[in-house]
Amino acid sequence: MNEKKKLVVSSAPHLRDEGTVGKAMRDVFVALIPVSLVSIYFFQWYAVFLIGVCLVTAVLTEILFRKMLKKEPTLHDWSALVTGLFVALLFPATTPWWKAAIATFIGVGVAKELMGGLGRNRFNPALFGRVSLIILAPIIAFVDQQFSALYLNLGRIDVITQATPLAMLHQGMEMPGYGELFFAFPGGALGETSPFFLLVGAAYLFYKGHIGWRIPVSILGTVVVLTFFLGENPLHHLLVGSLALGAFFMATDWVTSPFTNKGKVIFGIAIGFLVILFRVGLAPTEGVAFAILIMNGFVPMIENMTARAQFGKVRKAVPVSSGEN
Amino acid sequence: MEVKTFLGGLNVPHYKSFSEKQPIKVASLPEEIIIPLSQHIGAPCQPLVKVGDRVKAGQKIGEAESFVCAPVHASLSGKVKAIEKRPIHSGQMVECIVIEVDDHQESVDYADNDVEKASPEEIINAVKEAGIVGMGGAAFPTVVKIQPPPDKKVDALILNGCECEPYLTCDHRIMLEKTEELLKGTKLLQKVLGVEKAYIAVEDNKPDAINALKEKNDDPNIIIMKTPTKYPQGAEKQLIKAILDREVPPGGLPFEVGALVQNVGTAVAVYEAVRFQKPLIERVVTVTGQNIAQPGNLLVKIGTPLEHLLNECGGIKEEPAKVVMGGPMTGVAQSDLSVPVVKGITGITVLPPKMAFGELEYSECVRCCKCVDSCPMLLYPNQISIYGEAGLYQEAEKWNTMDCIECGICAYVCPSQRPIVKFVQQAKPQIQKLQNSRKE
Repeated sequence: MNEKKKLVVSSAPHLRDEGTVGKAMRDVFVALIPVSLVSIYFFQWYAVFLIGVCLVTAVLTEILFRKMLKKEPTLHDWSALVTGLFVALLFPATTPWWKAAIATFIGVGVAKELMGGLGRNRFNPALFGRVSLIILAPIIAFVDQQFSALYLNLGRIDVITQATPLAMLHQGMEMPGYGELFFAFPGGALGETSPFFLLVGAAYLFYKGHIGWRIPVSILGTVVVLTFFLGENPLHHLLVGSLALGAFFMATDWVTSPFTNKGKVIFGIAIGFLVILFRVGLAPTEGVAFAILIMNGFVPMIENMTARAQFGKVRKAVPVSSGEN
Repeated sequence: MEVKTFLGGLNVPHYKSFSEKQPIKVASLPEEIIIPLSQHIGAPCQPLVKVGDRVKAGQKIGEAESFVCAPVHASLSGKVKAIEKRPIHSGQMVECIVIEVDDHQESVDYADNDVEKASPEEIINAVKEAGIVGMGGAAFPTVVKIQPPPDKKVDALILNGCECEPYLTCDHRIMLEKTEELLKGTKLLQKVLGVEKAYIAVEDNKPDAINALKEKNDDPNIIIMKTPTKYPQGAEKQLIKAILDREVPPGGLPFEVGALVQNVGTAVAVYEAVRFQKPLIERVVTVTGQNIAQPGNLLVKIGTPLEHLLNECGGIKEEPAKVVMGGPMTGVAQSDLSVPVVKGITGITVLPPKMAFGELEYSECVRCCKCVDSCPMLLYPNQISIYGEAGLYQEAEKWNTMDCIECGICAYVCPSQRPIVKFVQQAKPQIQKLQNSRKE
């Protein structure tokens, strides 16, 4: 009847927003570039090498696992690169390269791909990879002895040997100035060097609509309130360690944070609480990582408890109504 | 008057510029018209004519006894060629009366009544006889809607001129060009419902329509309301929320909160039915999109084949194209251009090759919450899509799938390109089955 008319059909809607997962992940990667540059400024080739190792490992791991699972590679969604960069930012510059590679491998391979791929993972892949090295410490120590010959010497940098600000805080040492801690201070992991440049990246993600205010604000707010009541210096706690990286970039991870608005606040408050518990009460390192991972596990429960009522469920006084409702 | 809006929703590109400045033009007559016996929600009509009969324009050719039903009329004079199953825009095969159109047109005689004197009974009867259905797309028989159950008191009538669907401009043109008919039709609806206040709601991207209505309106009980431009502002429940700040309960109908919503085109049809005894045999249809040669707003006889209308507008420019009956957010893509324009068709959107995507490849939900933030029904489309995809309908039911109005905004924003509306449409009948089996 209608000859040669090439017509395409599909289900509605026939308009689509231009946003894709790949573009959003690429934005996250871009948002991490400022702090990465600060770390490269301080740690030079150590930082470059560490970041490079993690990115390459992440990509290779994803290809390997998806081949094994007989799935199409999904490198275009940028999630492997983002995880790789996150893992690098969670390590100090002098970390042996193979440790970072193992963490990346576990993060991308086990925590993401074996869980069903991006979207199905319950735990933040980068944090999972980072923390699994701590859990596997005895094995890592053994390997360390065998492979100490593999350590690279990429030149001498003074800043590498100094204590991290978090350790200083824990031991009650004299702290560097607030400005220095805020803008750029070498010490600790690559991602801990500059809260300011993390904020720049976070502002970009906020502007792009990829992260909301609820999770970061409730984490940081809780940290401030708790440290204040514990007689600690809230500002120091905000500025040191991976709190900024965790609050703005890792706790806000789409896949592993609650999808309810109330849930996001509860999630944030609980993370803030755990961070302070770890920092003040227990070991001084990786409190943020453990706090976020623990709360990742509670996400489904939080969501079920905090789901909003659908439209019309809100029992509001209706001005006119007759009969019974 | 400006109003607040509803929660959720999103600004989607308007794409109104193709046709918004085009005055309503009378479309040329097709060679044959196809009148489906069911153009509405409810029982289908039985044919009143047989093959070979001659019919006049405006003659009633199909009717049903059922309460929820609207009769159908011949939109042009001619000979009944066939009464058979033909495809319609929804993809279903429906019993249709096919009329071969005469060159020389003959019409039934129309009256010229004084609308001010019409009694509520006369209005109801005129609306029933004219076969009027909701012309905003839902096609629910108007005669049923204007007779709410006696125990529910309606105190507010809302005329919906939001036209939040991108591309479409038929309601816009009606408000501009048939302003007085609209206002008179509004008064008739007020009278029949016994409501004092009527609101005409228009999105603020149509300032000329708002001004035209304000100028011509002299009745203080008809209030012109400017709503923000946000999709889906024109959805019934969202509009009631915005205008009256009342929420229709889940599964409920507007009269449960004392409200009634009618499309502006429907009000004009009511006016014409009461004044002239004229049945609903023509309507304004927007033919638009980047891929149609001459976009415009056409006064089209019901039953006109889609292809005739596309040719009237200069034809499709480039193939492969996507021809959507209705707007791009909720409309249905067509594979067969012989389908007729029916009472509930607001527009035809012809999309160019680069926008003419088929079923998209989609990936896992990454829980970005963009659908959650924009859902106007405050649902969790992410969960519905995951459980719907997996066929876990009991879970999908728990996430209130049945409350979904299928506005399409979730699928529009989804960065994983998930066909969320399709999952909902697949899940709903299954959930209905579950609910029915539970009742037994």
